[in-house]
Amino acid sequence: MNIKVVSKILDANDRLAETNRRKLKAAGIYTINLMGAPGAGKTSLLECVLDTLKGSLRIGIIEGDIAGADDARRIALYNVPVVQINTGGACHLDANMIGEVLNELPLDEIDMLIIENVGNLVCPAEFSLGEDIKIMVSGVTEGHDKPGKYPLMFRQSNALILNKTDLLPYVNIDMGKFRSDALSLNPEIKIFEVSCKTRDGIGEFCQWLRLQR
Amino acid sequence: MPCRRKTAPMHELSIAESVIDIAVRNCLASGHSVIGKISLSVGSASGVMPAALSFAFEAIKRDTIASGAVLCINTVPISGVCADCRGEFTSYEQYILFSCPKCNSAAITITGGFEMDMIELEVE
Repeated sequence: MNIKVVSKILDANDRLAETNRRKLKAAGIYTINLMGAPGAGKTSLLECVLDTLKGSLRIGIIEGDIAGADDARRIALYNVPVVQINTGGACHLDANMIGEVLNELPLDEIDMLIIENVGNLVCPAEFSLGEDIKIMVSGVTEGHDKPGKYPLMFRQSNALILNKTDLLPYVNIDMGKFRSDALSLNPEIKIFEVSCKTRDGIGEFCQWLRLQR
Repeated sequence: MPCRRKTAPMHELSIAESVIDIAVRNCLASGHSVIGKISLSVGSASGVMPAALSFAFEAIKRDTIASGAVLCINTVPISGVCADCRGEFTSYEQYILFSCPKCNSAAITITGGFEMDMIELEVE
């Protein structure tokens, strides 16, 4: 016998993400899913954001990595609430993992929660966590072909941070092509060029970030 | 500083687990106990590799009521419309996400190809 199902395969994750979203909204928290390749500078960007916004905004961080707590240790130096999730091999965070650690954060003392996803340009794009916006980081060292190779992540991101601009004199990247390909995939994407090392562009990005709440 | 270990599998394995969960739930709800075939619709831009999904499905279907089930994946092309030439287009290739294949305009709206749906089950 045949039965019609017509169900979204990731419905279970989407429902858990919705539960997270409601819980975070109820606590007045604005949530960001930060994605990007390994080494793009996601944790460095977090450090810059904490340096810039910590005085005016209460920020909490969830760190997602396959193994280790190096990132959470870096964040803990800023004296903000941080939880490290180790996925033990998994290539992405999912809504269930976030739901399980939310209670370990002092939600009523947080205005903005930033979730640093596992370094990966593919899988994190498919699993909603309950975030308000998605931000992706890409280092200029990764090259201008990334929008063409990983279109889903560029389509889903609200903002694209092009990091490591201090290295532009040393790398072969066509920034015009990177921008136009990202914009043709996602005309709404907001693009920032920054260097976490020299802090160029960080102020402008942080100002935009603060206004998103 | 809390550090939590969460065990979640690789990408297509997570999706295969969801497929089996949904299939088992629907099969039991229909009063049946064995799943013979699961039909999915997967968009070409969904980010899922059908071969990896099939591999993951075969690996985890054992010890479930889907242990003898065949996974049938229907790949759906990416579809869109162009605001400039008013043309509609479809393709299985992701390059189509950038511009209209007819007039090369970037003013396109993608209307399909991101889906990941279960369509039908064969149960006994």
